[in-house]
Amino acid sequence: MGSRGAKELVSRATKIKTKLQSAFEARILELEDVSHRHASHAAVKGNPNFAAGETHFNLRIVSPRFEGQSLVKRHRMVYDALAEELQSGLHALSIVAKTPQEVEIQQKRAPQ
Amino acid sequence: MECFSISGSCVSNLHFHFTENGHSQPPLFNSQFTAFSSLILSSNFPNYPYPFILFPLQTLLHLFLAYSKALERTQSSSFGYHFGLQEPLETELVTVPEATDQLAENLPSDSGVYAVFDSNSELQFVGISRNIAASVLAHRKSVPELCSSVKVGVVAEPDRTALTQAWKSWMEEHIKATGKVPSGNETGNTTWIRQAPKKKPDLRLTPGRHVQLTVPLEELIDRLVKENKVVAFIKGSRSAPLCGFSQRVVGILENQGVDYESVDVLDEEYNCGLRETLKKYSNWPTFPQIFVNGELVGGCDILTSMHENGELDGLFKK
Repeated sequence: MGSRGAKELVSRATKIKTKLQSAFEARILELEDVSHRHASHAAVKGNPNFAAGETHFNLRIVSPRFEGQSLVKRHRMVYDALAEELQSGLHALSIVAKTPQEVEIQQKRAPQ
Repeated sequence: MECFSISGSCVSNLHFHFTENGHSQPPLFNSQFTAFSSLILSSNFPNYPYPFILFPLQTLLHLFLAYSKALERTQSSSFGYHFGLQEPLETELVTVPEATDQLAENLPSDSGVYAVFDSNSELQFVGISRNIAASVLAHRKSVPELCSSVKVGVVAEPDRTALTQAWKSWMEEHIKATGKVPSGNETGNTTWIRQAPKKKPDLRLTPGRHVQLTVPLEELIDRLVKENKVVAFIKGSRSAPLCGFSQRVVGILENQGVDYESVDVLDEEYNCGLRETLKKYSNWPTFPQIFVNGELVGGCDILTSMHENGELDGLFKK
């Protein structure tokens, strides 16, 4: 580990949050580490990068930046912001990306 | 899927030529002939729960079921199975009712064997089912002219062996009486066997990893997604996805009834290098990936969300 160890002191979750927050001015940013659910996953088991967990996340992000963007585009935007993480062992990211407007509509529709 | 889950697909395994467990010989119809006893309908069960109603055939059927169920309760576990065996084949036809709901009422939804007769009371087919009523209904839909009446035998302990035995005993009986196999059970006759829709094989991008490609992998991907309407790049095969997200994607596509192609990105033999190349090609870092008309729709999240919003129908119709 050596020099890498110091770098790892900041958890991946924190890094992801920081990056997304600055890239998207997110109104809502919820990140859930679900790595434990995938602990037996073949890809996780065999890879030393994954030993520390923090491989699988669920993300819910609401940002005005998604306005007018297709779902694919929104996911790509998120992936782009997290390119570094994806290259260093972030294995799966389940994304729900919405605009503030969409959330509003959804809330109105939902029964009070 | 279990072999016996529904009549159509299961029966093929019990076709006159056995193929299961590597046996390629026909089942033996010889020494084990069962002594068929007539049903004892009255004295043993004064309090049977089924009313005598309508016409006698139904009554007999109901009695048989009542008797069978009662035996299940009171006797050792294997008894019901033997009872299934002793159920004689030649008698007690149940007319297949016209209406679906009637059929459901008159036939048991239990596991067992059934024999279908045409309007001349000619035995057409002997089948095994996990839901006799559903199987008969399916037959009546596909070949109404051959489904005039049925004979059913509920097998109380319906494991594979018991069902096979019950089926065999009915076949034996018929063969002994007529010297021939019911036409529907003859090898090659597919009238009654609704094969489960065969899953397509997964597509392979290359002929093998040791074969030098003349075209770059990227171009192969490009062709593949443009020449096929719907392509899913998944982890594992479509019949056994190895990742929960891929599994969900396959589930949604199957559920939509879409004709799609699948490519296993974990197949190192035939799709060697695909993962990295595809990530670059699609500018998408994870799998599964779904392409429609050559364009990336997204991964599992997007497909799920479109499925829930009902947007998929429109997408696949384009």
